[in-house]
Amino acid sequence: MAENTGTQDIVYSLAASPAFDRDGLCFAARASGLYRSEDGGLTWQDAYASLELDAALPTAAVAVSPDFPADGCVFAGVSGAILRSLDGGHSWFVTRLPSPPPFVLALAVSPDFAHDGTLLAGTLEDGVFRSGDRGAPWAAWNFGLLDLSVLCLAISPDFAHDETLFAGTESGIFRSTNGGRAWREVDFSTEATLVLTLALSPNYANDGVLFAGMESRGLFRSEDRGHHWARLGEFIVTEAVNGLILSPRFPAQPHVLVVQGDTLLVSRDGGHNWSPWQAGWSAHQDIASVIAPQGLDPGAPLLVGLVGGDVLRI
Amino acid sequence: MPHPKPEPKSQRVIFQPATYRSLQQGINKIVEAIRPTLGPLPRVVAIDRILDNRMPELLDNGAVIAQRIIQLPGRAEDVGAMLVRDLLVRIRDQVGDGTATTALLFQLIYNEGMRYLTSGGNAMRLRAHLEQGMRLILDQLSESTVHLEGKEKLAQIAETICYDRPMAKLMGEIFDIIGEYGRLEIREGRGRGLEREYVEGIYWERGLVSREMITDHARLRTEFENASILISDLKIEKPQQLFPVLELAIRADVRYLFMVLGEISDAAIGFLLANKNPERFQAVAVPTPGWGVYAQAAALEDLAVLTGGSPFVRAAGDTLERIRLEDLGQARRVWADLRNFGIIGGKGDARALRRHIAHLRACFDRTDNPVEREKLRERIGKLMGGSATLWVGGATELEIEKRKELAERTAAAMRVAMMEGVVPGGGVALLSCRPALQRLLDQSSDSDARAAYRILIQAMEAPMRTIIANAGHDASEVMAHVKLAGPGHVFDVISERIVDAAQAGIYDATAVQKAAVYGAVTGAAQALTIDVVVHRLEQPLVTGREPSKIKRL
Repeated sequence: MAENTGTQDIVYSLAASPAFDRDGLCFAARASGLYRSEDGGLTWQDAYASLELDAALPTAAVAVSPDFPADGCVFAGVSGAILRSLDGGHSWFVTRLPSPPPFVLALAVSPDFAHDGTLLAGTLEDGVFRSGDRGAPWAAWNFGLLDLSVLCLAISPDFAHDETLFAGTESGIFRSTNGGRAWREVDFSTEATLVLTLALSPNYANDGVLFAGMESRGLFRSEDRGHHWARLGEFIVTEAVNGLILSPRFPAQPHVLVVQGDTLLVSRDGGHNWSPWQAGWSAHQDIASVIAPQGLDPGAPLLVGLVGGDVLRI
Repeated sequence: MPHPKPEPKSQRVIFQPATYRSLQQGINKIVEAIRPTLGPLPRVVAIDRILDNRMPELLDNGAVIAQRIIQLPGRAEDVGAMLVRDLLVRIRDQVGDGTATTALLFQLIYNEGMRYLTSGGNAMRLRAHLEQGMRLILDQLSESTVHLEGKEKLAQIAETICYDRPMAKLMGEIFDIIGEYGRLEIREGRGRGLEREYVEGIYWERGLVSREMITDHARLRTEFENASILISDLKIEKPQQLFPVLELAIRADVRYLFMVLGEISDAAIGFLLANKNPERFQAVAVPTPGWGVYAQAAALEDLAVLTGGSPFVRAAGDTLERIRLEDLGQARRVWADLRNFGIIGGKGDARALRRHIAHLRACFDRTDNPVEREKLRERIGKLMGGSATLWVGGATELEIEKRKELAERTAAAMRVAMMEGVVPGGGVALLSCRPALQRLLDQSSDSDARAAYRILIQAMEAPMRTIIANAGHDASEVMAHVKLAGPGHVFDVISERIVDAAQAGIYDATAVQKAAVYGAVTGAAQALTIDVVVHRLEQPLVTGREPSKIKRL
């Protein structure tokens, strides 16, 4: 059930191939570098081996192309650069970002990447960078982004048509409706704490539902594209929400999973009632990231990245 | 019995019914000169030049035409024409567009109102009812207002303003990015077409105090990363005045110090340039942005919020003696050349920045003063973190000038449309107010009220009729087809088809339509109450300071 990658460093981000059920390919971005697994997270190898680095290259973000089985594109965000692999994470091209080196914390790939080649990167102090050419040149696009500390990005499943994405920052949420070129503040309390995670309904184009996980004020849900918000699980989801996953069949299957300290909580009714993902289960360490490559059906695998550097498969 | 005073030779007093006639002549003359310009297929008005023998100016902009008509030959008709002229210039200054619509509405309301009054109506009561009907129209326009976003929709709005498709497309893209408050500079381009450029971060029009402070000689600019910023309007006369901040920076291992200063003497500049260890520490200075005390205070406030520093203000008696490290602002990047300086990634508190912008927006909404509004809009636009430049090219200087003017007018009207929304265009929104006015008419038994509502119902049709006629069609016949097609439909003079205005992307800025209705109804209603006109036969030279009192060429 659990696999220890051997080192003790935080797992900032996880990403899996869209064909995970067949190829078992997934990536873990850690303080010690990027790791790659071909067996569904059971064993891990150094994805940067081909770079022959002298020192560890801390990697905070990793993302996989939605067309991965065909194009083999993987992107990794590091300090001052974004790495791009066209062969499933074996070899890498480095694209430097403008100085002073921005630290990339989040990556978002357009669902229509095969056609629009659009990628976005959220950085710790320099806002959002955008590439419209499959990750080769990058440029900062921060019109209206009044907080340049971008902690997370969430892209609309219908991005090809609505060009919508959201950025969670240290002081609130911003929305772009032109593919990340300009941003407008979402009507969210300016006293809000850090927005750690954002998740959009797979049916966002029609239902306008999105969730926001905060550092200290729990979980919020909006049903009108971010205009109004309601807090969920007020007495249960009380700690930092480091991970947030919606069922790929949401809202037909209104399952929501959140990370709470060293446990995972699930709601089967869109966020109103909560229960542990597995009764009595605990990671015994704070969880830093989580992905559900095959959805939130009972029995579907979860990959859980821990603050200590381990990746658990449950 | 005292003898009546003889009328001075320089004055002539006109009473009713001559007043109405003389005003009407002037109003009709100026409006008929502007009428052909309404719509996407306007006719052109040629205006003879006063100062030289060059070919006449060919104009299709109502406000410019009005501005060029500085006097009508007959003194009697001149008064009426100038009433309309001043109204149109005011509308143009307020919302950037809508002058032809205003002129048409004004003319129809005045003419019909006068016809009613000469048959025995009461001017004061008619005025009150016209203004009551106007409030209903304004409410109806508010109800049909929608807010549009996305570059395609914004381009559609732009096209209804400038009728220049390439320009509209670029305007749609630019405003989609910079937003309604964003900073857009329109400059003369080198090529023949239009080009745009986006600039990251915020910049002010103040450059380095010395050419010697340039570090990148190829690009003629200096760029610092992770710089500390002194925010002040202090006057530095002696190098010693800078010692506290320089010592503080060096002690705190600050690598780059960027100083905003009110004034700096040559001796102090020389002292800064004498830095023998630029690898360890560099300092440059720029003057405080803004002209005048208030503009400088605003710039200092914005800089402080943006970078998280504290401003040192001369008027408050501040000096650098007790400066602390936390008084210095911080930014990811600062740049300066000989004309401008800019900040990218200011490290001020994001929440404070958002509150500051919200405060400026509230001030913007509260004030009616156009100059104050423009200054506030510029500040908000700067703080939003970026700007755009539109380069306007052309074959001749005249063409560039005209296109630049069009771009500026379009940009101003775009901002208004984005801030206050849009209504279906082509005259549809006004036409849609007729049923509500008709209900008011049906409910009313007072003859003055009924006359007022009837006039307004007629007026609401005038803009659409004129657009159709200007495009060379039979307005009555086409209007009959439009009415048959149902509410919201318009005759698209470009495609020559009757279409749903909203679906076809034909919009007008709500604020422009409202300003036109408000200006025309209140202006015409007031003109209808004018009973006496006093002429000065020899018009004194106008030298008043107020710009509205000076006839502008």
